[in-house]
Amino acid sequence: MNRCTVTTGFFVLGRCGQQAVASCPQCARPVCAAHAGPGGLCSECATAQGYTNQDPHHPSWTGGFRRRYYQSSSHAYRDTYWYSSFDEYDRGAFNPGDDYSHGGDWGDDDTGFVDS
Amino acid sequence: MFWRKQKAAIERFHPLHRALTLEKGFAVSLRRDDWEPVIQSLARHRTEIRRRRWLLPARVPGVLVPMLRIMASDMRPDGVLSVAADVRGPRLPEKTGPQYDVPVQRPVLSMKQWYAMDPWLRMRAELRDGSVLELSVTDRVRYRRRRKRNPRGKIKIKTKTKTTHLVRVTRRLAKDTAVQRPGTPPPPWIRVQVKQGRRMMFRANGKLPGPLGEAELIDRILHVSTEPFRWTPPGRAMGRTTT
Repeated sequence: MNRCTVTTGFFVLGRCGQQAVASCPQCARPVCAAHAGPGGLCSECATAQGYTNQDPHHPSWTGGFRRRYYQSSSHAYRDTYWYSSFDEYDRGAFNPGDDYSHGGDWGDDDTGFVDS
Repeated sequence: MFWRKQKAAIERFHPLHRALTLEKGFAVSLRRDDWEPVIQSLARHRTEIRRRRWLLPARVPGVLVPMLRIMASDMRPDGVLSVAADVRGPRLPEKTGPQYDVPVQRPVLSMKQWYAMDPWLRMRAELRDGSVLELSVTDRVRYRRRRKRNPRGKIKIKTKTKTTHLVRVTRRLAKDTAVQRPGTPPPPWIRVQVKQGRRMMFRANGKLPGPLGEAELIDRILHVSTEPFRWTPPGRAMGRTTT
């Protein structure tokens, strides 16, 4: 089964793991129905194109806010490892086959609650 | 009948949203996905309610909703998220401590000082890595009321307040979770306690001079919350822990 590899969670990161329904036209990675954004883009590519949601009431808010939070907290703690460990994990979804891409850390997002 | 449409709108709100509007608070434990209807109901508040008495404080959309989203995103669907919110404010008799006199010099005739403790947000979440996170945000408000006589003999009374936000975050790890001490210490305004054992516990206390705006407060709350998670970095996938 082709699984959605979008990063979920905030402090405890995981992968969505739902069945993918499409491939992102930008980066070609599989995305599920819940994480396919405008034009079928994955959440990261949508963010890169400026489709971030600033409203915390919207389910996709956490995904857009997460990277900004890791940047600011890494700065506040002067801990570059804190940000780089997040960044490596987040980018791991784009490198299928490496240590961060798969490996049993699928989230249990089998309901409609989407966080990124 | 006044406010007919807005009363009807409140009746259509989620029961927790209604409690927050009318009673200014709630305390409840729900499964992760049961919070989504509450958030969607809160999203309608600004468009449907205009009466000042029923408006929600800015900390509801500014702090409570983002924290609900963040906590829920780290939970399994069957995880329970408990929230006790109280947005009535600190000016209530049950939140106010005893008044006492403070030494003064002329032209101040007397000064009374007292504190109010307002624990307006408490949350407990069962995270998907097996750990349990507890968060509390308390506003400690110092009141100083002083009587002073001006050169023309008038007596004036002034009251000043000083707010401090006290943030406490506790994370209790799952049994036998391997941890790694962070490479850098936390900022000086965060105090950390570590309790050893099979289920290690991390407690971070932050003392923030306020009053802070909602955007800055949510940032600071998340900075305090960061410390317990730095011991198990996010890049390390769940179930693949190493020392």
